[in-house]
Amino acid sequence: LFSFFQNLTAAKTLTREDLDPMMAKMREHMINKNVASDVADHLCQSVTESLTGSKLGKFTSLMKTIKQNLEPSIRKILTPRTSTDLLRDIFSAQNSGRPYTITFVGVNGVGKSTNLSKICFWLLQNNLKVLIAACDTFRSGAVEQLRVHVRNLGAVHPGSTVELFDRGYGKDPAGIAKDAISYAANGGFDVVLIDTAGRMQDNEPLMRALAKLVTTNNPDKIIFVGEALVGNEAVDQLTKFNQALKDFSGVREPRQIDGIVLSKFDTIDDKVGAALSMTYTTGQPILFVGTGQTYTDLRRMNVKSIVNSLLAK
Amino acid sequence: MVLADLGRKINNALKSLTAESVIDEAVLDNILREICAALLESDVNVKLVQNLRKNIKQIVNFEELGRGVNKRRLIEKSIFDELCRLVDPGVEPYKPKKGKANIIMFVGLQGAGKTTTCTKLAYHYQRKGWKTCLIAADTYRAGAFDQLKQNATKAKIPYYGSYTENDPAVLAAEGIEKFKKEGFEIIIVDTSGRHKQETALFEEMMQIAEAAKPDHYIFVMDGTIGQAADGQARAFRDAVPIGSIIVTKLDGHAKGGGAISAVAATGSPIIFIGTGEHIHDLDPFKARPFVSKMLGMGDIGGLIET
Ligand SMILES: Nc1nc2c(ncn2[C@@H]2O[C@H](COP(=O)(O)OP(=O)(O)OP(=O)(O)O)[C@@H](O)[C@H]2O)c(=O)[nH]1
Ligand SMILES: Nc1nc2c(ncn2[C@@H]2O[C@H](COP(=O)(O)OP(=O)(O)OP(=O)(O)O)[C@@H](O)[C@H]2O)c(=O)[nH]1
Ligand SMILES: [Mg+2]
Ligand SMILES: [Mg+2]
Repeated sequence: LFSFFQNLTAAKTLTREDLDPMMAKMREHMINKNVASDVADHLCQSVTESLTGSKLGKFTSLMKTIKQNLEPSIRKILTPRTSTDLLRDIFSAQNSGRPYTITFVGVNGVGKSTNLSKICFWLLQNNLKVLIAACDTFRSGAVEQLRVHVRNLGAVHPGSTVELFDRGYGKDPAGIAKDAISYAANGGFDVVLIDTAGRMQDNEPLMRALAKLVTTNNPDKIIFVGEALVGNEAVDQLTKFNQALKDFSGVREPRQIDGIVLSKFDTIDDKVGAALSMTYTTGQPILFVGTGQTYTDLRRMNVKSIVNSLLAK
Repeated sequence: MVLADLGRKINNALKSLTAESVIDEAVLDNILREICAALLESDVNVKLVQNLRKNIKQIVNFEELGRGVNKRRLIEKSIFDELCRLVDPGVEPYKPKKGKANIIMFVGLQGAGKTTTCTKLAYHYQRKGWKTCLIAADTYRAGAFDQLKQNATKAKIPYYGSYTENDPAVLAAEGIEKFKKEGFEIIIVDTSGRHKQETALFEEMMQIAEAAKPDHYIFVMDGTIGQAADGQARAFRDAVPIGSIIVTKLDGHAKGGGAISAVAATGSPIIFIGTGEHIHDLDPFKARPFVSKMLGMGDIGGLIET
C-alpha cells in the first residue's frame, strides 16, 4: 500500500502538496482499520499541520515520518487520563460503609448484560458481595438472562454472595435501581451492578428514561458498553448518550459517561479502530476489553498493541 | 430514512454537475471524492469504495469519450449503476412454497438481532396466512429460550425449545420433526451468535445445519457494523450457503453501509430491514428502487430504464 512513498528520500522541505496524497492514503488506511472517518480526519489534519514546512531527513521515507508523527497522538488518545482502578474506588466506598454502584449503558445488543456478568465474576474473585439489579424491564428474556448468570456465578464461586434484584418486566427502571441500592445497603452488599435496556441514541423517550435512572440514583460509575464491531456510529452513540445525560437530567451538574467497556474485541482481528474512535470522542478510558462470551473473557486494554495494530499494514 | 444522509450527500455531489459549464476529469474527481467520503462515513467497505471509484473512472474515460457523448448523463448513470451493484447482487430472493415445510435458519454475529428478527419474520408470514412456527436452537446464550418464548407468546406463534437439552442440533431436529408432522409451512430456526475467529462455534453452526437441512439461510447483520463486516460475512458465506440478508437497527442514526458490504461478500440480497425492537418493525427491502429513491427519483429516475 505505501510502497511508492519510499521513493521520496531526498532531503527537502515538506509542502502540503507532498503531504496531501499520502495523508489521503493514511486516512484510508485508518478507516480500513475501522477508525471513524471524523476521527481519522482530525488526526491526519494535525499531522499535516505539524509536518508542513518541516525538513524530511535524507534517508527517511515520508510514510515513516508520518507514522512517527501519528503514533504519539494515537497513544495519547488511548492512554487513560483518570484512574482506572475500580477496586480502589470500591474499597473506599466499602470503608465508608455504603455499596458502590455501577450502571451499564449502551445501544442494543452490544454486550451490556454479558460484560456486567464478567465484571461480577471478577468482583467475586476479589471477595466482594455483589447485587445485580435487573433494570432492563423491556427486552424479552432480559431478567431470565441475568438470573442464569447469577446462578452460574454462584456455582463457580461457592460461598460468595451474589444475588439478583428484580421486579419483573414493565416497571420503572429508575425505581427498581433505587430499591436495589437500598436493599444492598441494608444487606451489606459491596457493589450494585445495574443492568439497563439497550437503546438507540436517537430514541428520545428511552434516553430520557436513562437520564432519569442516572439522576435518581447517581451511580458511582456510568459505564458505556460499546462493541469493537461498531463503525462510524461509535462517535454518534457516545456523543448522544452524553448529550442526553446532560439535556434530560434536569440538574445543574449532570453526569457523563465515566468509562468504557469495549466488547467483542475477539471478533475484529486487527480492525481495532473503534477503540480509538471511542476514546477520542469521550476522553474517557476503556476500563475493560471484552474478549469472548465466558466469564474470564475480560481484559485490561493494552494501549501498545492497539497502537501497533492501527499502524501496521 | 436509512441512508438518507448518504443519499443527500451523493445527490449534492451530483447536483454540482449541473452547475459546471465544462465537465472534465477534475469535476469528476471532485464528485467521486465527495461520494467516496460519504460512503466511507457510512461504513461501506474500503475495498468496495475503491472499486467503485475505479469502475466509474473507467467508464467515464475522458480521453476516449466521443464528442457527442452527454458526459453529465454518463457520470450520473455510472454512479447510479455502481451504487445499485453495491446493494443488488442480481439474484432473485428466496420464495417459500405453499403447502410444504419451508425451513429457514437464522445465523449471524453475537447480538446482531437474530432472535428478535426471527419473531418479526414469523409474524410477517403468519399475517400473510402461512402456518408459521419458531424453534429456539440457541443453547449457549443465557436466557435465549426465555427470550424467544416471550416474543413468540406475545405474537401468538407456536414455538419449540428446551431448558435441559443442550445440543442445538438435537433441538432443531426434534422441533422440525414435530412441526413437520403438524403441517407447518414456515419453520424458523434461531441459532446463537458466533464469529469467524472461534472455529468451535462455526462447527456447531454446521452441525445444526446438518440436522435442520434448511431450505434457506438468513444472515442477520447489525446496521451499525463497521469495517469488520466484510470478513465476517465472507466467513459465514464460506460455511453455509447464505440466501439472504436482514439488516437490523436501522431505526437510529446508522446508515448501514457496513451491513450493505455483506451483499458483495455473500452475493445475497437484503430482503428486510429492522427498524425497531417491536414485532412490526420490519420493512421489506428492494435494492434498485431503494437506490433511485436515495438519489431522489426526480433527478435520476429517467436513468433506470436506460
Ligand atoms: N464474541 C463476543 N461476544 C460477546 C462479548 N460480549 C458479549 N457478547 C455476546 O453478545 C451478545 C449480546 O450480549 P448481551 O450481553 O445480551 O448484550 P446487551 O447489550 O445486554 O443486549 P440488550 O440488553 O439486548 O441491549 C451475546 O451473545 C453475548 O454472548 C464479547 O466480548 N465477545
Ligand atoms: N432498535 C432496534 N433494536 C433491535 C432491532 N433488532 C434487534 N434489536 C435489539 O437488539 C438487541 C439484540 O437482539 P437479539 O435478537 O437478542 O440479537 P441476537 O442476534 O439474537 O443475539 P445473540 O443470540 O446473543 O447472538 C435486543 O435488545 C433487541 O431488542 C432493531 O431493528 N432496532
Ligand atoms: Mg442486556
Ligand atoms: Mg439470539
